[in-house]
Amino acid sequence: MPKPSDLLQGTLDLLILKTLVREAMHGWGISKRIQQLSGDVLSVQQGSLYPALHRLEQQGWITAEWKDSDLGRSAKFYSLTREGKQQLERELDSWNRLSSAVGLLLKKA
Amino acid sequence: MLRSRRFRIWSNRVHSLFRKDHLDAELNQELFFHFEQLVRENVAEGMSTEAARRAARQALGNLSQLAEECRDQRRVGWLHDLWQDLRYGLRMLRQSPGFTSLVVLSLALGIGANTAVLGALRASLLSNIPFPDGDRLVLVRTYPEWNPALNNSASIPDYIAWKQQSRSFESMGASIADHSRDFGAEEDGRPAERIEGHGFSPSLFVALGVQPLLGRTFTEEEAEIDHPAPVMVLSHRLWQRRFGGDPGVLGKEVRLSGTNLTIIGVMPPDFRYPLEETEYWVPLGINRFQLQGSARFFAVVARLKPGVSVQQAQAEMDGIGAQLARDFPDRHKGWRIRVQTLRNAWYGWMKIPLATLEGAVALVLLIACANVAGLLLARGAARRPEIVMRMALGAGRGRVVRQMLTESVLLSLIGGVLGTFVAWGALKALLQMNPPLAGQRITDVAVDLPLLALLGILSVVTGLIFGMGPAIACFQLDLAGPLKESTRSAGSPYRRNRLQSALVTLQIASALVLLIGSGLLINSFVRLAGFNLNFDPSGLLTFEYRIPQQQYVRNIGVFQGAPYSAIDPSPTPAIQRVYEQLRTMGGPESVAGISQPPVNSPVLNTMSFSIEERPIAENVADQNALRAVYFLITPNFFTTMKTRVVRGRDLNDFDTASASWVVIINEAMARRFWPGEDPIGKRLTLGVVSGERPREIVGVVRDIPTRRERADPQPVMYASYLQQSPDYRGPIANMFGQMTFLLRSSGDPLSLVPAARSAVADVDPDHAITRIQTMEQYWGGGMRDKRILAAVLGVFAFMATILAAIGIYGVMAYSVAQRTREIGIRMALGAGPRKVLMLIGSRAVTLISVGMVLGLAGSVALSRLIASQLWGIEPTDPATFIGVSLLLVTVALVAFFIPARRAIRVDPTEALRTE
Repeated sequence: MPKPSDLLQGTLDLLILKTLVREAMHGWGISKRIQQLSGDVLSVQQGSLYPALHRLEQQGWITAEWKDSDLGRSAKFYSLTREGKQQLERELDSWNRLSSAVGLLLKKA
Repeated sequence: MLRSRRFRIWSNRVHSLFRKDHLDAELNQELFFHFEQLVRENVAEGMSTEAARRAARQALGNLSQLAEECRDQRRVGWLHDLWQDLRYGLRMLRQSPGFTSLVVLSLALGIGANTAVLGALRASLLSNIPFPDGDRLVLVRTYPEWNPALNNSASIPDYIAWKQQSRSFESMGASIADHSRDFGAEEDGRPAERIEGHGFSPSLFVALGVQPLLGRTFTEEEAEIDHPAPVMVLSHRLWQRRFGGDPGVLGKEVRLSGTNLTIIGVMPPDFRYPLEETEYWVPLGINRFQLQGSARFFAVVARLKPGVSVQQAQAEMDGIGAQLARDFPDRHKGWRIRVQTLRNAWYGWMKIPLATLEGAVALVLLIACANVAGLLLARGAARRPEIVMRMALGAGRGRVVRQMLTESVLLSLIGGVLGTFVAWGALKALLQMNPPLAGQRITDVAVDLPLLALLGILSVVTGLIFGMGPAIACFQLDLAGPLKESTRSAGSPYRRNRLQSALVTLQIASALVLLIGSGLLINSFVRLAGFNLNFDPSGLLTFEYRIPQQQYVRNIGVFQGAPYSAIDPSPTPAIQRVYEQLRTMGGPESVAGISQPPVNSPVLNTMSFSIEERPIAENVADQNALRAVYFLITPNFFTTMKTRVVRGRDLNDFDTASASWVVIINEAMARRFWPGEDPIGKRLTLGVVSGERPREIVGVVRDIPTRRERADPQPVMYASYLQQSPDYRGPIANMFGQMTFLLRSSGDPLSLVPAARSAVADVDPDHAITRIQTMEQYWGGGMRDKRILAAVLGVFAFMATILAAIGIYGVMAYSVAQRTREIGIRMALGAGPRKVLMLIGSRAVTLISVGMVLGLAGSVALSRLIASQLWGIEPTDPATFIGVSLLLVTVALVAFFIPARRAIRVDPTEALRTE
């Protein structure tokens, strides 16, 4: 089993939540969207994606629903809950703080 | 906001716990969708379907591991562990059904019995008193200083003084049993009927806080001294039965025992006071003699003022009592007052037997716990490899202990569920206990929610207690040890053995305590049951015929504190007619009568007498010394009772009023008043009775016990009911109009009832016979509780013994199995069976003796607690202690010898090879 991703643990959660802001998506769609939006830089391994989705669902940030996908097959679509949106705000805050701190450090060091 | 999220989290958890299969299917579907998308993408990029699938499978990696990781995200650690442990535990229990059912059964009995006894105790403390604000009601009673255990009622001077002087009570009332009254047979065919009622002071209804359903209760004017108004209040039951529930009965006049009474009220159906069978109430009839009297017959009930405690009332009454004793020493000196809550008076009697029982059932549960712990320990040995394996694979000790405890609690919970049925049955049986005179039976108790909660707590605690054993043993496991030595078990896990030994010792000690307790109770019961009745109760029918005393007794004064009365007209001819009719009706082998039931009569009349040819000084010196229980009897009384006449003769038909008067005495009286002399032919004269003649003693009979509880017989004299003064003036005049008849039959005595009933109706249609029962029923009624208590304790003691035996057997069998190899080697080296037995036996002997010593010490300390339940036997009765100890030692040795025999028969070559 290859090491799934280089993404920091919290970062994957943040990316998933952010991806789901606009519309409900299934797991496959989420991984494609992250890959696409990051210009193929980031690729999420299934091995981390699905456990993360289930964890987020268990914690009540996202909720799942079975719907027909655009290909006519039934798929599990995830969407943000109200609390999930608030959680996203918090995570964005902390991400901004972290990245600016890292940027500051890299610039000055 | 947080609430909705928490709710979602919890519903997810519950979902993941109980809809596991559903979620797994969903997960598979989700991952499969991903897989399909991957395949499509690969195909779109130009791969063959086959290659696309292979590539997708590779990209996804181990699907089942991925699924497991997803599932992991959903789990709530402890909840899932618990669920897992429960399922695992159930599987383990199913694997050994014998072990499981043994444990569950003993736990069910232990837990159920404890719940039942505690439930009954709770009921005795909390049961409803059926009056408004019932906990403010108290009984005010008296007791003589020389015997505080007695509970006497109040005299009229007591009652009046208390009522006037006390400040603690809102109201106070008095009651006394009315003499039973009879409705005559009516023209419309309704038969004669005897009803029991009570005289109530008007204030008693107020104190009890009850209102009539119809009409009214008495006014103060209606309770005038010497002239109680001829009015009555009906019970709801009597109103329904005799008057068809007709509201028009108010104001109606009825004839009862020759007196006209006007019905002024009907009480509500739930008012049954003071007795369940009370059918009517009349104004308390006090006569002017009683104003000075010291006879304590009146039951006084008072209602405490709000905020006044029983202790405060008691303190005030103590002061009033002391003042009364100073002011009127002849009436009140030597008497004290007791204030007791109605609840305590009604239900307090249950406490001692229930506490005894609770001690017993708690011990049984303790033994069962020890036993189950022992069994689990022994089984734990078999499971050692499994547990070590689990720990080696990374399970923490805490986790393993938790699993062991889960299994134990699971066991005891199953026991608890079964115990519910035990509790239900036992509670019902417990509440059948017969209350004493003033006590009440609790009727409204069921296995309710608090009781079930108690049962649940008991189960869990029990499980945790006996689960401690294996759990502790688990902590002492040496991980490396058992793995290293593989399955060889030559080494002795010393500490677990010590725990097991402690458990077995505890079991033996507890079993001994129980056995001795029940041994004492059974012993005293057997003494009581086999106690020389000196009559044959089997085949005897008894019933009472009574002419209401208003019809023939006239109060003319007070003598020595008791009413002094005249008789007019004499009821004797009526009694004689009934007696003759019963003798000639055919059926019984013999017929006789006695003025009070010979055993356990509620009232026991005594009479003073003087002995002829003795110095007057001796006769007068102590009036009370020359006093004996006094009965009137018909001819053939002792023949009918089958009581042996030791000297002289029974009364016969020649002992008429005109013959010379005679008396028969019992052996106790002969011993007391004529020690070393033959009393036959001696003459005595009854005291304080006008028209009395000297009576010659013509017979001495064996002692018929007047009180079942009394081991020492009282002096008793029996005189013919015919040989009485026609113008009797004296005490206890009411004994002349009543007769308890005894009919002896060779078959079922109850088959005589219809004939006897119609025989009496033939000569007297107005007075029905009452209290119809066999002598065995009469005698046995109160014995039942003692028998049940002894039997229940006996059953528990038996269970405890069996459990202890199983415990000893388990430990010995285990240790023999463990040492098979060692024994084999020793035998190969020439040790004989004796030597082997000694080797194995030394441990058993130590365990048994330590247990016995502890048990004996415990019994000496605890048996005093049941002293009040014993009869004619000391709480430290050596015979019981020694006998029971021997019994237990025997059982323990048998339990030891079965595995020991196996050890002796060990074949050295076999033993060495098996390892």
